[in-house]
Amino acid sequence: MSSKTTFIGAVEIGTSKVTALVGEYTGREIVIIGCGECSSRGVIKGSVVDYRSATECTHNALEIAERDANERVDHVYLAQTGGHLEGFYNEASVNVKAADNMIEMDDIRTVCDLAKSKDLPLGRMVVHNIRRPFRVDGRLVPTLPEHLVGQRLEVGYWTVHGQEQRLADNIHVIRGFNLEVRELVLSSLASGHMVTSLEERQNGVLAIDIGAGTTDYVLYRNGAPHTTGVVAVGGAHFTNDISIGLRLTEGQAEKLKLRFGRAVVQSRDKNEKVWLDGNFAIGDRQFSRQAIESIASARAWELLEVVRKKLGHAFAPEDCAGGVVLTGGGAKLPALAECAAKVFGTTSRLGEAPSWVAENLRDPGFHTALGILYYGVSSLGDHTSASRRKGGFLRNMTRLFAST
Amino acid sequence: MSKDVHAMPETRTWREIPQEVSSRAMSGEGRRRLAMGSMRAVMFVAVIGIVAWGAWETAVVLRENPDSLPGAAKADRVRSLVLVTDGVLDKNWLAATLSIPADATLVGLDLSQLRAKVLADSQVSSAAIIRNFPDKLTVRISERSPVVRMMAQAAGGTPSMLLVSRDGVAFSGTGFDASMVATLPWIDGVRLTRDGTSFAPIEGMRAVSDLIASAKLEAEELYRTWRVISLERFATDGEIDVRTKSGMKVIFDTREDYLRQIARLDLLVDESTDPTHPLREVNLALGSQVPVAYGTALPVLGEPPVNTLGAGAPQPAVTFPRAPGIHIDIKSEL
Repeated sequence: MSSKTTFIGAVEIGTSKVTALVGEYTGREIVIIGCGECSSRGVIKGSVVDYRSATECTHNALEIAERDANERVDHVYLAQTGGHLEGFYNEASVNVKAADNMIEMDDIRTVCDLAKSKDLPLGRMVVHNIRRPFRVDGRLVPTLPEHLVGQRLEVGYWTVHGQEQRLADNIHVIRGFNLEVRELVLSSLASGHMVTSLEERQNGVLAIDIGAGTTDYVLYRNGAPHTTGVVAVGGAHFTNDISIGLRLTEGQAEKLKLRFGRAVVQSRDKNEKVWLDGNFAIGDRQFSRQAIESIASARAWELLEVVRKKLGHAFAPEDCAGGVVLTGGGAKLPALAECAAKVFGTTSRLGEAPSWVAENLRDPGFHTALGILYYGVSSLGDHTSASRRKGGFLRNMTRLFAST
Repeated sequence: MSKDVHAMPETRTWREIPQEVSSRAMSGEGRRRLAMGSMRAVMFVAVIGIVAWGAWETAVVLRENPDSLPGAAKADRVRSLVLVTDGVLDKNWLAATLSIPADATLVGLDLSQLRAKVLADSQVSSAAIIRNFPDKLTVRISERSPVVRMMAQAAGGTPSMLLVSRDGVAFSGTGFDASMVATLPWIDGVRLTRDGTSFAPIEGMRAVSDLIASAKLEAEELYRTWRVISLERFATDGEIDVRTKSGMKVIFDTREDYLRQIARLDLLVDESTDPTHPLREVNLALGSQVPVAYGTALPVLGEPPVNTLGAGAPQPAVTFPRAPGIHIDIKSEL
């Protein structure tokens, strides 16, 4: 085996389940060699509320994945979600310094640093700085504008920041397994990267990842993420509404949601009844199908409306030729794409993993974990080369022992 | 919206969060991994320490008292030469080849140079030389086996006999039994070219070797009559010509199955019982069509063919002028 081969773990600590994947990264490509899954405990709306329980199930998932891969993970990319994450846009511009108006790397560095530097409230930390395309004298430049000629260079950053303690809690859960967190990846970016194509991102597309506790979304424009966000509402809230509305336990409501829930009401007959279990057991009850569909569809509509409202002017159907792509476990609710099409006034579809993904990982619930690996690795290139320049032998030795 | 670069506020990123956690906060597996990591670190430091200590001690001894270093091996002369071989070369050959001075010590020997001397004899295909302390030198060699013999003559020189192995290497053939060498057929129609101190491998010897092996297996009586094997038309037509003691010429096709060709030849020889019209030429290189030439009694081959050394066209050693009155039969579907 090549000495360059590293084994990367991708962990998503979700509200309903913890997913861990192990990828073998050769420096050129990544191959998924292990998968572990465990029911989540101690996590509410993407945030760790019970350290011991969350640690236990996360480590369990990691152990299963390592056993499946038959390899030790070297470091981890961790998905980040939760209602505490917020984003803002900040832009900056500089006058090109050179007398001949040719843009140098120094100009680019300066304008990027300016656009990224903004005071955050106390206790907040940057998770991602997502750069939007450069502009030279108002002209859009999708790549680095080095050696182009212009007088004014502008750039903007979408900065995602979160609460320090909540970020630290997630990191410490992984560190409890004596693994280094190499990268925090926003869940929406990970799943969005997985279910949208390059062309769709270029033309504009909105990816919505509906999890159990949170809904993450990312709007792409001109091939880059334009706006991201998190709504602290997910599939578990659908279950909760059904449970309250029909006076059921969470487990019973979940069962009904999975079997009869729909994002658009289909049943026209108020008297159409469905059995809770359908096994003729004592205590089995009947419920109105229309009632279940009405509750689920109202919640789905409301959730998508909230996303649209949070996007505000950033989303316009005419600028979003790729439409809306839904993913995540919650997206499996029947007719959700139809509901999204009505809410956003554009085409909508259920996201699918690329064809090369193995059959057992094609479920929408794995899209985030898969995306973490691929998004993380693709963003690693620059980071690694920068580290190599700064690092050297001692740094590598430190890493060797730190990651063991 | 231009800003002053020097007034940029410091933004904090998640990378500033310390990743260290106390072992209390770790799970059992996490603690186990931490222990393994620490153990590896300790072992690494220990190995580095031992290597450094060894180097330091050696340096001190070399500086202060170099005579205290063990010198027994350095002082011992070579008293015993051992040859391990799969062939016929003997200890005398080894002693003559190596020509080690009487006062040479085992440590002072240049093994790579000695190995080069051993390999200079083309009869040796591979060699390994091992020092067995305190005073023994063991030489393990693998020898080439001869398949055919040849008479080579340099311009203006006298002809000398060489043996040729399966891989086409020609060698003088030290130590082989003369009666065994006498049974080997002669090779003809080849050109020997110098390659340093030895000869370049002869092309086509693998095909000849396969033919001989097949002949020995299928019809040993026939093989014993083979006198000269010619590779003259090997490169151009893929054919091997064989001449027997009685002067019969047999042409084999190297692309066809030898066993089948030899079986056909055997059948033809058995069928040809008339001593006044013996077989003169059999061409087995045309598939199922086998042209056969009969003739009058032929002269028995005498002197071996002589192959030239260096550049120049291959010279056939014996020619068979087609005598008048020869008639040709075509034996088909043998």
